[in-house]
Amino acid sequence: MTPLLETENLVKEFGGLVATDDVNLTVEEDERVSIIGPNGAGKSTLINLITRRLDPTSGDIRFKGESIVNLEPHEVVQRGVSKSFQTASIFPDLTVRENAEIAALAAERGAFGFEFLKHRDSLTDVHDVARNTLDSVGLLDRANTVATDLPYGDKRRLEIGIALASEPDLLLMDEPTAGMSPEETKSTVELIEQVKRDHGLTFVLVEHDMEIVFSISDRIVVLSRGGIIAEGTPDEIRGNEDVQEAYLGGVEI
Amino acid sequence: MSEKDANPSAKDANPTANESLVGGDLLSRWEQLRGREGTVVGLTAIFVALFPWLFARAPVISDFLQGYQSLATLILIWGIFAIGFDLLLGYTGLLSFGHAAFWGGAAYAAGIVAKNVSGDPIVMVLSGTLFAILFAWVLGFLSLRRGGIYFSILTLAFAQMMYFMAASPLAFLTNGENGLTGVDVGSLFGVLHLEADIPSVGGMLLGTWLYAFVGIFFVAAVAVAYRILNSPYGMVFRAIRENEQRAEFVGLNVWRYKLMAFIISGAFAGIAGSLFTIHGAYVPLQSLFWTESGDIVVMTVLGGAGSMFGPVLGVGLYLYIENIVSTIQVLTIPFTDIVLIQDFGYYWHLLLGIVFVAVVWVVPDGLWGIIGRVRTFVSEKVGGEQ
Repeated sequence: MTPLLETENLVKEFGGLVATDDVNLTVEEDERVSIIGPNGAGKSTLINLITRRLDPTSGDIRFKGESIVNLEPHEVVQRGVSKSFQTASIFPDLTVRENAEIAALAAERGAFGFEFLKHRDSLTDVHDVARNTLDSVGLLDRANTVATDLPYGDKRRLEIGIALASEPDLLLMDEPTAGMSPEETKSTVELIEQVKRDHGLTFVLVEHDMEIVFSISDRIVVLSRGGIIAEGTPDEIRGNEDVQEAYLGGVEI
Repeated sequence: MSEKDANPSAKDANPTANESLVGGDLLSRWEQLRGREGTVVGLTAIFVALFPWLFARAPVISDFLQGYQSLATLILIWGIFAIGFDLLLGYTGLLSFGHAAFWGGAAYAAGIVAKNVSGDPIVMVLSGTLFAILFAWVLGFLSLRRGGIYFSILTLAFAQMMYFMAASPLAFLTNGENGLTGVDVGSLFGVLHLEADIPSVGGMLLGTWLYAFVGIFFVAAVAVAYRILNSPYGMVFRAIRENEQRAEFVGLNVWRYKLMAFIISGAFAGIAGSLFTIHGAYVPLQSLFWTESGDIVVMTVLGGAGSMFGPVLGVGLYLYIENIVSTIQVLTIPFTDIVLIQDFGYYWHLLLGIVFVAVVWVVPDGLWGIIGRVRTFVSEKVGGEQ
């Protein structure tokens, strides 16, 4: 069976710096993969290559067996790859509901349409997707709040909600708990676990918090200096000496 | 797209007739009605019907305002331009400095068609608007390749090229520096002379057929713009304004939506520009000059970018200062003969500048923002009694 996502000899160079070094990553359907690695290992670069925010220097990225390296970012989303950003990248002056509806609109009605004389009240499919998404991220009761007025933790929830409302087959999460308080982190982890249960979603998680990584992932990929140095189940990674060396300078995990 | 908007029929079915009509109830009913399309279009039509009478003919008030019929028509024409411009500037967040190209381009297209093909006002509006749409498509395609300030400068550059083209290389079509003179506007449906007064009450309210003709386009422009804002486009435009990158990363083709915003605003400018030719029976070369692009930016920001009616208010104030305040010779303290400033009218640009700076400092959301604040204040006062 073709993997859901596959990168083949993927390379990204910035000037002389190799940020992504010959990466061959595969993600199977229904798999939860975490990418870890020390700062500067190239985790975010890899995510940005997959979402087409960056152009690879060489190599190929295939989603559902088809190359996506020549697509625009919105086309990649339309194929089913969605991303939640490291910072809350929301639409601040729109209501929480509208934030979800924007993503639902793209998912239900495509990247572009000519419906500029159609009243939005008639888009029931879009409303339903938005409502269900807000319900599953626990923001339905704040639906009419202007997004910028949400507390930080809720903004990050909304960020994940926007990514989910795009109805992705693969969700890329770039440090979903960055900058969060311990309570907010806890509730975000619960949210991710709940999404994993409810939506049966395949996701790739970039995360610093080892506790989260080891509890959530089916498989862990370790990056160092742009290349994959190890991959395996949480237990395999825990005992891997290379990883301890590269990642923690030899300290026990 | 709040719950109340989604279910208008539920409210209609329950007209609670025995409700006591205290201020709070009236106000909440008004709040329910206010957002509906029918209310917005209906109120606009009432405004259009009363405006020239209040401005030019009503006792006391028009004496005070010193308004006249032709200026009322001009305000509506620029109002259409501003409504469309605000879809681009206020809602999508794109600052075009080249909209004179569509305003003036359509004005010339309508005038040239009138001189060479048909002077039917409807044909003139259609051809001017069509020209503006096609031209906006091309200029948008070229200018939207870049964002921010580069986009603004590109639109400015293209519009100035148009001005240059009209000034000399295309002078055989445009009559160059002299402007397009002798535009012979025909009668509407072959019977109604636009310059003629409407008989009886219609004439007292509206004045000329020309005003009625422009007024219909104005009401239609409001209806269409309001619908666009309540369509998926309205939401997508604001999303692009708020966070363009995120809009792309939820799977929207941001580039095409921006191009549509540009074309739609070009179409509004085209309708307005064509009406401007019909209004004046003349196209000044000035209509393509960059200062016209600047004027529409100032009018929109003055009235309140990102609001539906603010820009129209901005147009009204701008044209009022330009055409009426500028004619005041000697400014005296009201009801006395004490002279404050000699040649007051001469300083109208300065006055406009001061008004503009004051508005932007005090209420960055424009004149319409003041109205919004008053409304919030009133509803808090009245609503608080319940």
